[in-house]
Amino acid sequence: MDKLIFIDHEKCVGCATCEMVCSLVHEGICSPSLSRIRVVRYPTRALNVPITCAFCEFPPCVSVCPSGAITKNAQSGEVTINSLLCIGCRQCVQACPFGHANFNFAQGTAFKCDLCGGNPQCVEYCWTGALQYLPLERALGEKREAVARSILPQA
Amino acid sequence: MKDYSGKILEIDLSHGLIRFKDIEPQLLRQYLGGIGFNARILYEQMPAGADPLGEDNILVFSAGTLVGTPFPTASRTEASAKSPLSGGFGTSNSGAFFGLQLKTAGFDALVIKGKSPDPVYIAINDEDVQILAAGSLWGKECWECVDYLEKKHFGSEIALIGHGGENLLRFASIENGRYDGWGRTGLGAVMGSKNLKAITVKGTKGRKAHDPVALLKAVKDGQQLIKSASSYLAFTEYGTLNASIPYSKFKAISAHNFTKGTLPGWKDIGGRPIVDKYGSRHVACQSCIIACGHWVELTEGKYAGVKVKDLEITPVMSFGATVGLDTEAIIKASELCQRYGVDMVSVGGVLGFAIELYKQGIISKEDIGFELEFGDDEAAFKLLHMIINREGIGDILAEGTKRAAERFAQADRYAIQIKGMEIPMIDPRGRWSTWTLGMLTNLRGGDHLRCRNPVENLRFNERDEEYSKERFGFKQSMYDQLDIPEEVKRKAIDLEQDTTDIPEMSKWAEDLINLYNSVGICIRPPVMEKVGPTIIAEACRAFIGIEFTPADLMESAERTWNLIKLFNLREGEKVEASKFPRRFYEEELDGKVLDEAKVQKVLEKYYQVRGWDSKTGRPEKDTLKRLQLDQLSE
Repeated sequence: MDKLIFIDHEKCVGCATCEMVCSLVHEGICSPSLSRIRVVRYPTRALNVPITCAFCEFPPCVSVCPSGAITKNAQSGEVTINSLLCIGCRQCVQACPFGHANFNFAQGTAFKCDLCGGNPQCVEYCWTGALQYLPLERALGEKREAVARSILPQA
Repeated sequence: MKDYSGKILEIDLSHGLIRFKDIEPQLLRQYLGGIGFNARILYEQMPAGADPLGEDNILVFSAGTLVGTPFPTASRTEASAKSPLSGGFGTSNSGAFFGLQLKTAGFDALVIKGKSPDPVYIAINDEDVQILAAGSLWGKECWECVDYLEKKHFGSEIALIGHGGENLLRFASIENGRYDGWGRTGLGAVMGSKNLKAITVKGTKGRKAHDPVALLKAVKDGQQLIKSASSYLAFTEYGTLNASIPYSKFKAISAHNFTKGTLPGWKDIGGRPIVDKYGSRHVACQSCIIACGHWVELTEGKYAGVKVKDLEITPVMSFGATVGLDTEAIIKASELCQRYGVDMVSVGGVLGFAIELYKQGIISKEDIGFELEFGDDEAAFKLLHMIINREGIGDILAEGTKRAAERFAQADRYAIQIKGMEIPMIDPRGRWSTWTLGMLTNLRGGDHLRCRNPVENLRFNERDEEYSKERFGFKQSMYDQLDIPEEVKRKAIDLEQDTTDIPEMSKWAEDLINLYNSVGICIRPPVMEKVGPTIIAEACRAFIGIEFTPADLMESAERTWNLIKLFNLREGEKVEASKFPRRFYEEELDGKVLDEAKVQKVLEKYYQVRGWDSKTGRPEKDTLKRLQLDQLSE
């Protein structure tokens, strides 16, 4: 897929606005437990690492889903869960290497990031630049440029 | 309202009882949450004259109405009890993530009554609430306990006390995780007196929003408002330290126990440059878009290895100015206060007081065991350890400056406190403003956090003849954008004279901050400049489904303020208690003293603005009736 949510944990201040916005957008409930993006905090180092779906090319969640509820769109690359087909077996939750795929106990179904249909709201409300939704080439270009700047002598 | 699922969790430690109580719609409508709930609960449920360190005191933690939403800065929880330091309404506000977890566990408020026979801690996991033996945690410092409890109760936020609370220091804090805390008014001692070491809380449920789309819009609007504040960028960079250098230039910092007004080289000790030198990452509370906290790791020098979230104006003023320590010692002092669970402001005040008593010959080397001097960090920390452990003279100082001063002849002049609480940072002789009048009118005693002019102008420092004005000094566009009702605005700000009316602005500022402390948002200047009752009303409606007008919210805040005043009056507060220490009236600082008669006059004007008797400071009958407090107070 062309665009990805790029996470620069160096910029994250741990406000977790992304978590609250995500659960509000998807569930109408303010609850980190229902957020598709989660921030892991290391308070004694002042480090914060947001974790969301990696949108794997070969997603284990799709492979293990016994009911065909999770599919990867070949064109867009998005991996989504059809909650009508989900049987609540939590195999995807177990299989996800990132602790991303999660389970909504109230509804009895699994949930994961759906990129808000192409306009991820966590990125929209992130004020630090820690989350950016960018085409791969653009994001990596910025990263390379930052590395290059650090190598070059100061102008 | 139909969506609103919050409950009150009430724990009676004397009998080990745990109850879930519904929140009456009327309580929510009239008091909103946070400090509003606390005021109502304490006023109604605590017997008058209760011993602050006895079984009858009640400790309440209430998360603000908007805590648990992405509304910017909505992270804050108010803790309240009768204060062992002031004897009045003790209350303190803290951010970070405790309130979020309390809310997502399903509770708006946690009410702790009685006294456990043995040391315990409370563990909350949604509805699963347990009172557990604190065992070997008792006697351990805060960070060690947090390390242990974080592992045992994964994902929990932790409120706890250290040696300060256990040893009943009258200015002990309740720490909020490692680096935040409910610092002021001695609430840690209340927790210690109940034999309660810690509270862990983890929630997984969250709250259904009444109108998610409208809430998201209010969040976006709130973010944009705060980002448009004139002080926004400065605050994201330097946090609260922005005011440090201006106040030093005004010769209005608490240097050497309020004797100097400024210190040589202050800029590099306690000004913005220390952020560039020592600060690294920025750290935010839940849902905050300012992230004023700075991460500090000292890698060399005497205190190498210290790691804290710090470089805030409070420790810088308390330890840098009042005690005269250098920057690295300030950072070390913050660490010690957080580990031992004591209020940084009061600790600074007590140390400054002790050093001055020593220099005045009122206490001697024999009394202490070593010499004291402003700026001597090793002596200061030795004394701090004696205070925390109540050893020797430390046992007297652990009672706070007001009580300690009664133990020595001629010492009360050096106790810089109001209503028993040590005054922070700002010397009103050097700068007279809404902020400094607010130290007198503050219902919790000598403190700077409950009355701040939302448009304080740090470029000017003039004191008018009547002590009733400060310079406004901003463009009309700033005036136009303020979310203050026109009639209040016209009284509080005179554009033609370019002045702010101190008593009028004080009432607005106190009510606005009380509103923030009710709904759980932060009083950082970019918020105060831009976030008023209009956007808060919209966010509250979208989240909890109650229609409030901006006027309803301000009235609620005013109601809470008056109810706290009634609490204090019931506890015997006298009008004379609203008085600065004699030093401010009698000793010149940079050629200036305060005129007591003029201070008194402006205070009387403030009482009138509040609808209180101008001589006694008692709320008038009409005021209580207007605020529907008449029946409660009879």
